[in-house]
Amino acid sequence: MKNETERTESSGPREAAVIGRSIQINGDLRGEEDLRIEGDVTGTIQLKNNSLTIGKDGRIKADVYAKAVYVDGLIEGDIYGSERVSIRKNARVTGNVISPRVSLEEGARFKGAIDMDSEAVEAALGKVQPQAKPAVASAPPLSAKPAAAVSTVKS
Amino acid sequence: MVAPLGAATARAQFERPSTLNAPLFRSLLERIDKKQRIVVLDLGAVHAGTIATFVSYRCRLEFADLAEGLEKIQAAKFPALLDELVAGLLPPPGAEPTDIVLAWDLLNYLERPALTALMAGIAERLRPGALVHALIVYSDSRMPTHPAAFVPLEDQQLQDLSADRGPERPAPRYSPEDLSRCMPAFKIERGRLLSNGMQEFLFRL
Repeated sequence: MKNETERTESSGPREAAVIGRSIQINGDLRGEEDLRIEGDVTGTIQLKNNSLTIGKDGRIKADVYAKAVYVDGLIEGDIYGSERVSIRKNARVTGNVISPRVSLEEGARFKGAIDMDSEAVEAALGKVQPQAKPAVASAPPLSAKPAAAVSTVKS
Repeated sequence: MVAPLGAATARAQFERPSTLNAPLFRSLLERIDKKQRIVVLDLGAVHAGTIATFVSYRCRLEFADLAEGLEKIQAAKFPALLDELVAGLLPPPGAEPTDIVLAWDLLNYLERPALTALMAGIAERLRPGALVHALIVYSDSRMPTHPAAFVPLEDQQLQDLSADRGPERPAPRYSPEDLSRCMPAFKIERGRLLSNGMQEFLFRL
């Protein structure tokens, strides 16, 4: 793997390891440095204290755990970002995003769910003990309003 | 020179405002208890504005991007196949029931059997008392071939981001009675005619 300099949104220049276009990895990928993927990775990716960039040629079939995740390519799997997840305009994401800060550029394709609720994010990232099942209230968290008849008043 | 009335009317039809004031959507946001977690299902595609609107709530946002599967739904002729397609198009149900559904323009592109199957499938995943906010073509007899891509703005108005929606086709113009028949699990809580000729509805499960 070669190194390249990358400027992330949250910090200055950093050296990031690169998985090139011709590389295919099948299995668990863990590390303690920033990583950019332009190749194929299937399995799981864990960079809990570092950032992961999925480049425009990157193709990921994996659940991803990182401090910050930047997506330009294709990912099928859940994305856990303890700080932030940024989905850029060329990205194609199928799966769920769990992070306190999520940004998305118009043009990105996304099918799944985005969870930004801080308690749910902390539970998902293992900072607190996750409940066996999320607490489900019997009443909806919506205040009741008196029902009005169907109107045709123009607004 | 005074323009003929017919030309003015025609121009009014095609020079629709780029933003849409949707009071029932605004009232829906005001009713959310910010201390409680909610699950929102958007039947449309993901947009930055939707994320920005719900970021201040304790929220799980699900996106179905239903427009991609509309042709398959319309081609299905058998109820069992429709049910299967609907299940495949909606995001896998999570452990939590859904509280709010955003159905902006997409229901206009479903014929009655498909609309019935979709809303029955959605009703199964909702919490009792959940709300559906829908935009239904009401005044116009025709509509573009492709659905609009509405996105909420900072001031909670809705903006259509779609660029080219294709040639026009007949609009179903579902009446409240039609919708009640196709969505027997839901009750119309409120309805309101908007400036773009669509009717805005809040349905309650």
